[in-house]
Amino acid sequence: MGSDVHEEELISIPITVDVPYRFAAGKYLGKFLVELRDNGTFYGIRCPVCKRVQMPPRIVCAQCHVKNTEWVKLGNEGTLVGFTIMYIPLTDPTTGKPHDPPFTYGSVKLDGSDSVLDHLVNIEPDVSKIWVGMRMRVVLRPKGERIGDLSDILYFEPLEGQVQPE
Amino acid sequence: MAEETNYEIFEVDQHITAHSRYFAGKMGSLFYRTLRDEKKIMGVNCKKCNKVFWPPRSTCGRCFSQLAESDMVEIGPQGTLETFTLITYSEPVHPRTAPFIYGIIKLDGADTGMAHIIDEVDFDDLSIGMRMEPVFEEERKGTILDIRHFKPVS
Repeated sequence: MGSDVHEEELISIPITVDVPYRFAAGKYLGKFLVELRDNGTFYGIRCPVCKRVQMPPRIVCAQCHVKNTEWVKLGNEGTLVGFTIMYIPLTDPTTGKPHDPPFTYGSVKLDGSDSVLDHLVNIEPDVSKIWVGMRMRVVLRPKGERIGDLSDILYFEPLEGQVQPE
Repeated sequence: MAEETNYEIFEVDQHITAHSRYFAGKMGSLFYRTLRDEKKIMGVNCKKCNKVFWPPRSTCGRCFSQLAESDMVEIGPQGTLETFTLITYSEPVHPRTAPFIYGIIKLDGADTGMAHIIDEVDFDDLSIGMRMEPVFEEERKGTILDIRHFKPVS
């Protein structure tokens, strides 16, 4: 009786939880996303006290607790400050669909910003060909196809002709 | 400088999809196999508490006694409606589109209720204490939806 206990069929049930949701971007993030969608430009906001530039923009500087008012136009190029190669799927929050691994994910500090933007990097997922300090450009969806969320950023792409430092 | 642009009120649609797998375990697997293969609903009897619980599990939630597959007993299939509600909005997590009725049915021989869909009846004709019976799916897959829904005993 007890010997066939491992022969029993064990039941498991796949469950998919699907949660679409919508959030109000608010005044500052709304401007950021509209500018990104309509003009393909990135805006940050400068704190009047510590002078750091936050992107995406927040109404209040989280460090100084003062209201940010000075908008700063940022470049579409920046510097890679960190990266990882993903070997497990990562769910894209804009679609709910996973990305197929392996792929490169990087943090880029856009020129003029003190914050980093995390996104896919269109580069072979090979650590020997990526380095911190690499110059990157943002590749956006073509104008007219942009919808005003971070999926409008397709990926970062390294600028041509860079040589890895020794 | 009157360079102030009035930006539209902006909303962002996002989406989370979480994939998971529920493992029914020893007791749950016996429950689902019996439901699928024999159209029988099983609970588990704690002899110390003298209670029959659904869903069956290997520890009594009341006295923490260890329970075994041999403690599982058939319950139902008929039962008594304990409470019910009308779902008026559709959500992806719901197995049906609204409007539909959820109820809690205490199956005969069980001391706990089972939440399930109620159908083949108008909401206004339902009342607490009504006798209910399950309608089984023709093609059963070993999930709780092998019981398609409960309906009032005709």
